[in-house]
Amino acid sequence: MDQSPPKPNNADGDDPLLASIQQIVLGPAQQRIEALAQEVALLRQQMDDTEASAEKQLANLDRELQAARQALYLAEDRVRELEMEMVALRQRAQSDSEGLLARLAPVFGNLVSSRIRENRDEMAEALGPVMGEAMRVQIRESRDDMVATFSPIIGETVQQAIGSFFRDLQRNVDRQLKSALRPDNFGRALWARLRGVSATDLAVRDSLPYTIREIFVIQPGSGLLLTRFEGIEKPTADSDLISGMLTAVRDFVRDSFQPQARAEGHLDELQYGNLRILIQSSTDLYVAVVLEGIEPTGFRARMRQLVDTLQVEHGPALRAYNGDPATLPDLQPILASFLVGPLSETAVSPGLSRGQKAFVAGGGLFIVLFLALACFYLRFTVALYPIAFPSSTPTITPTATVTPTVTPTATATPTPTPTATPTNTATATPTNSPTPTFTMTPTNTPTNTPTATITPTPTTTGTATPTPTPPLGQTNDSVWVRTAPAIEAPLITVLEINTPLVLISVSGPWAEVQWESDTPWLTGVWRGWVPLRVLDLRADVIPITATPTLTPAP
Amino acid sequence: MRVIQKKVCLLGDFAVGKTSLVRRFVEGRFDEKYLSTVGVAVSRKSLERNGHQLNLVLWDMVGSTELSHREAGYLSGAAGALVVCDLTRNNTLETMQRYARQLRVVSPKAALVFVGNKVDLTDERIISNDQLLAISRLYQGSYYLTSAKTGVGVEPAFEQLANLLEGLDGTITT
Repeated sequence: MDQSPPKPNNADGDDPLLASIQQIVLGPAQQRIEALAQEVALLRQQMDDTEASAEKQLANLDRELQAARQALYLAEDRVRELEMEMVALRQRAQSDSEGLLARLAPVFGNLVSSRIRENRDEMAEALGPVMGEAMRVQIRESRDDMVATFSPIIGETVQQAIGSFFRDLQRNVDRQLKSALRPDNFGRALWARLRGVSATDLAVRDSLPYTIREIFVIQPGSGLLLTRFEGIEKPTADSDLISGMLTAVRDFVRDSFQPQARAEGHLDELQYGNLRILIQSSTDLYVAVVLEGIEPTGFRARMRQLVDTLQVEHGPALRAYNGDPATLPDLQPILASFLVGPLSETAVSPGLSRGQKAFVAGGGLFIVLFLALACFYLRFTVALYPIAFPSSTPTITPTATVTPTVTPTATATPTPTPTATPTNTATATPTNSPTPTFTMTPTNTPTNTPTATITPTPTTTGTATPTPTPPLGQTNDSVWVRTAPAIEAPLITVLEINTPLVLISVSGPWAEVQWESDTPWLTGVWRGWVPLRVLDLRADVIPITATPTLTPAP
Repeated sequence: MRVIQKKVCLLGDFAVGKTSLVRRFVEGRFDEKYLSTVGVAVSRKSLERNGHQLNLVLWDMVGSTELSHREAGYLSGAAGALVVCDLTRNNTLETMQRYARQLRVVSPKAALVFVGNKVDLTDERIISNDQLLAISRLYQGSYYLTSAKTGVGVEPAFEQLANLLEGLDGTITT
């Protein structure tokens, strides 16, 4: 059986009507089909485009993925490298910590410097406790290392400070030299000299540098600040507290040490480190000057003058001050004049203190006593001069007592009795060793052997005076003194040149001299022999002659 | 700005809390530790007033039952005083009265504010408001209950003293 579909009718040929009907009925459908076909084609085209784009995007993603993977590989490599570097750095840090510190120090230094510049207070607050504790620990545990570390820094700081000090000193010395010839300075130098201070010391004292940090003018009772002057240095944080506490301390000291005499004496000075607070008081105010260094001479007097000026010119107003500055006069010009005024002690001298007055009175009394003693001494000397130094020729005092004992042995005839008449003529120098000679002439030969004892009695010429013998000469050279007039005689001592001495006797080229020695090993009056040539003798030396008389014993 | 200074003394018996009141007023803090004041301690508190600044120079004086010769010297020039008692110790009220009398001798025009301190210790309180009122009327002052520990009444007491010093309440001026 034929199941094929029915063939379409040929409308053009067979049935135009049918064809037109078909045309009418199927026309829209046909158009619709064509539109759909076009749409399908368009969609297919779009699909193709989309597929191409997706493929392209996929390709791009593939490339990006590849790139990312590559980057990842690189990053992994870098990480590995960094890990290796870290390991290496750690090893180097362990093995070469000093080198690492040297490399890191500038970095950290710059970092810390930058932070400090940006916020100094914050850094100080953050680092202060840590650094303080670290330093304490370091000092406790390795004191020597810390000393070695800080010595150069501290040394340099000290060096700078000393250099600054001496520059100031030099400037001040120059200034002092310019004003050294002023009459008041001359008078002050003379006064200092009288008190035992040399001009050099005074000049150095005047040249020591000092700096006025602040000046406070304070009401004594309440401690309220009347006015103040700030120096170049950073001023004190709270002047109200300073003035109040200073007043409290001042009152405390006064009441503690002078409770019965409140009007007498005040605290004059406080010292804290290198700062000193000089205080000068008056009835209605007191001035406290905070200064660094040593104030020049006359500074106190100028402070006194400042206080007096303030008191005289503004005393009532200062006394009535109740804390309201509107009621207070302007004190700054007076302070300014104090700061720029000359340091003239004579111009503002408050007079001598009690000690100075006592010194002057004592000095005057001493001078009067000295003059009186000098007059008395002169009169005494004039009166005793003729006695001490008579104008007559000095006499020689021979001290020799010659007692020669001669024991002659003679053979004489017993009968008759021989008469022996010895004639003894001796020339004795004033020594103890006369050498008498005698001659005994018997008239006949004696039969017995008499023993004659001759006792010569020397008769000396000259006048013996028991007065002290003045020096008659002196040595003209240093010379050895001997015990006898011989070169081989034992030595006594050495007489220095120009030693005053007394000539005792002369024996040939030797002279016996007497001198007084005050050396520790040879004190008292000594005698000895020296060569005559070393003596400078006065012209009036008189030689001494001794004439012993021999008296034979019966 | 115009700055006016006034000297103010804190007077009272031992351990009534003078230093703690000053610390609370000046530094805004309280310390449990008790340290006896030696001699005198000077502090300052600046108050912004109408068009000017008032500097209260506070002389925190050593606590004692009576003013010694030295402490009397510290009162010289005082424009006003805070006379403090401890609300838990009856004898401090007598000391308060003694101080007020002595201050009047030294500075007749001084402004006075009486302060009963330690008001936070309510269970231990002995001194009554009436007692404080009586003293303050006697010396033409005013009284405040304070606690340096909690800060209660501290500022008002000093403010009142500042008012008295500047004559704002029309009672006592210096």
